[in-house]
Amino acid sequence: MTTSSAAPRRTRRGTDRKPRFAIAVTAAFFALLYLPIGVVVLFSFNSQRSLTVFKDFSLRWYTAFFQDPVLLESLGMSLRVATVAMAGSLILGVTLALGLVRCRNRLGSLAGLVMLVPLVTPEIVTGVAAMLLFKGMQIPLSTGTVMLAEITFSISYVTVILRSRIAALNPEVEEAAMDLGATRWQSLRLVTLPALLPSILASAVLIFALVFDDFVLAYFTTGVDPQPLPVRIYSAIRFGVKPTINAVGTLMLVGSIALIALALFIPRLFGRRGGLDLLSGK
Amino acid sequence: MATQNTTGPAQPGLHPDDGPTRAAAAGHEHPTGRPHQDRRHTRAAPDGSAGAGDRLWTLLMLPGSLWMTAFLIGSLALVATLAFGTTDPLGNPRFGLNPENFAALAEPAYRAVMLRSLGYALLTCVICLVVAYPVAYAIALYGGRFKTLLIAAIVVPFFANYLVRMYGWSVVLSDDGPLLGVLRAIGLAGDGTRILQTAPGVVAGLVYGFIVFMIIPLYAALERMDVSLIEAGRDLYGGPLRTFFHVTLPATRQGAAAGCVLVFLPAMGDFVSAQLMGGPDQIMIGNLIQDKFFQGQNWPLGSALTMLMMAVLFLGMLGYLRRTRKDEAEAVR
Repeated sequence: MTTSSAAPRRTRRGTDRKPRFAIAVTAAFFALLYLPIGVVVLFSFNSQRSLTVFKDFSLRWYTAFFQDPVLLESLGMSLRVATVAMAGSLILGVTLALGLVRCRNRLGSLAGLVMLVPLVTPEIVTGVAAMLLFKGMQIPLSTGTVMLAEITFSISYVTVILRSRIAALNPEVEEAAMDLGATRWQSLRLVTLPALLPSILASAVLIFALVFDDFVLAYFTTGVDPQPLPVRIYSAIRFGVKPTINAVGTLMLVGSIALIALALFIPRLFGRRGGLDLLSGK
Repeated sequence: MATQNTTGPAQPGLHPDDGPTRAAAAGHEHPTGRPHQDRRHTRAAPDGSAGAGDRLWTLLMLPGSLWMTAFLIGSLALVATLAFGTTDPLGNPRFGLNPENFAALAEPAYRAVMLRSLGYALLTCVICLVVAYPVAYAIALYGGRFKTLLIAAIVVPFFANYLVRMYGWSVVLSDDGPLLGVLRAIGLAGDGTRILQTAPGVVAGLVYGFIVFMIIPLYAALERMDVSLIEAGRDLYGGPLRTFFHVTLPATRQGAAAGCVLVFLPAMGDFVSAQLMGGPDQIMIGNLIQDKFFQGQNWPLGSALTMLMMAVLFLGMLGYLRRTRKDEAEAVR
């Protein structure tokens, strides 16, 4: 977890020349990585329907989106699902992570295994399974079922992110609080949780963005009306593209990129290491 | 979908390099941190007579793990059970104990889709590895102070909406899209060349969708690698290529293996890429599953397909775990 900061290997390698090939591949990779995103953003401002010829700058597709009651309803539903899933998975995930790190019995290792299952299962499998479960229990598919499925799925993320943070905490601080008369619960609430706050916030933002953007699980667990925004986008893409999708897509890109960037940099706002270790190479 | 796999390898058993860190952290807790009473209770945990501390932690753990067990394990068990079921004449699923769904999957039509999915997913892994390696290499070793920024510039857009990205990619690859335009201009593509509706199109979609899962573990491995090893290779008169194949590549093999697993899992289960980039001849197992649950209304057969896919993935994971165990054993020796 501490690869980049701990190792004092900043010695410039004695390489006489730069690897031109690797740098060329990297440049081409970045071009192809951003080209599709750029295309969506560019043509969202096109005054014409065309996806190949850019005529004039126009906001008509954005206006069209904000006047489309179906898409707005979907937007509302996606926001509600993301909020509920974020809250639910945080409560269940933070407690689970605390328990998993501290609890050293057989139940703990079993729960640790269960928690890993969503991470090694393709989403289509969890989607199909959730749909069958709801159908089997005679629960009609609706906004609520999407929320339940997304919570289940997000608990693992929260737990994985927080687990390593909790394990890295110094337990002596908690012990010190208890030596000073705090109960175990008080030391948890007053010492441990505040120390975890950056990571908790970061995972909250991340979960919100992931759930809002999630397509597969939502696709299998949603009812017919309303449908989450990504599901609507999917049908729009399949059955003839309307340029409105470019506008929706651009708004979603901006939204989730902002959220992810926020999640990655929240720990730095607190001036601490922690949160998501994606950027330091795990 | 994305972090699911990114964070995956941080878990014990999945990520070989994480073991020592966590073990150290755990070992540290006991001798220094915990008072004696606590240690005794930890020992006594299995027979249920845990002390106040352990009871609190178990209690904290319960809601989350019960939820996961009920929804996740319960639903997966349902899929496994229904895979042996049948449909009645109205198309409603019926539970049962007949293996005929799996027998049906042995038919050539299904076998072809299965093999195709496997082929696409493996090809996706190979292409991701070949593209991601130079990228990770250039950033990790030559990124300088822009390292973090560059990796963020890769990671952040990958967490943006998958469908929007895939849709943009399909526009780029389309017949009158920019990529074919450039290829035609430099004479690499003829007038009739297409990418969409072909197998390369589907694989291109999968690569675009999941390559970040290859870059992150490779980058981590290269970051961790001791660069003086490369210098040593050069000092010993190894050419750049020889040094690379004898020093750099072996040192990052575990990162590459982790990346392959992380790409293979979602690529096998994907149905969006085949839907947007491919035609009827490119459907993958994910499309079949989707079809059986929506249009086809044959849930037992869909469940059997799902189980089959899980079995293939399970074998892949097993292979990966054995590989890393062996690597670890060799490292110890």
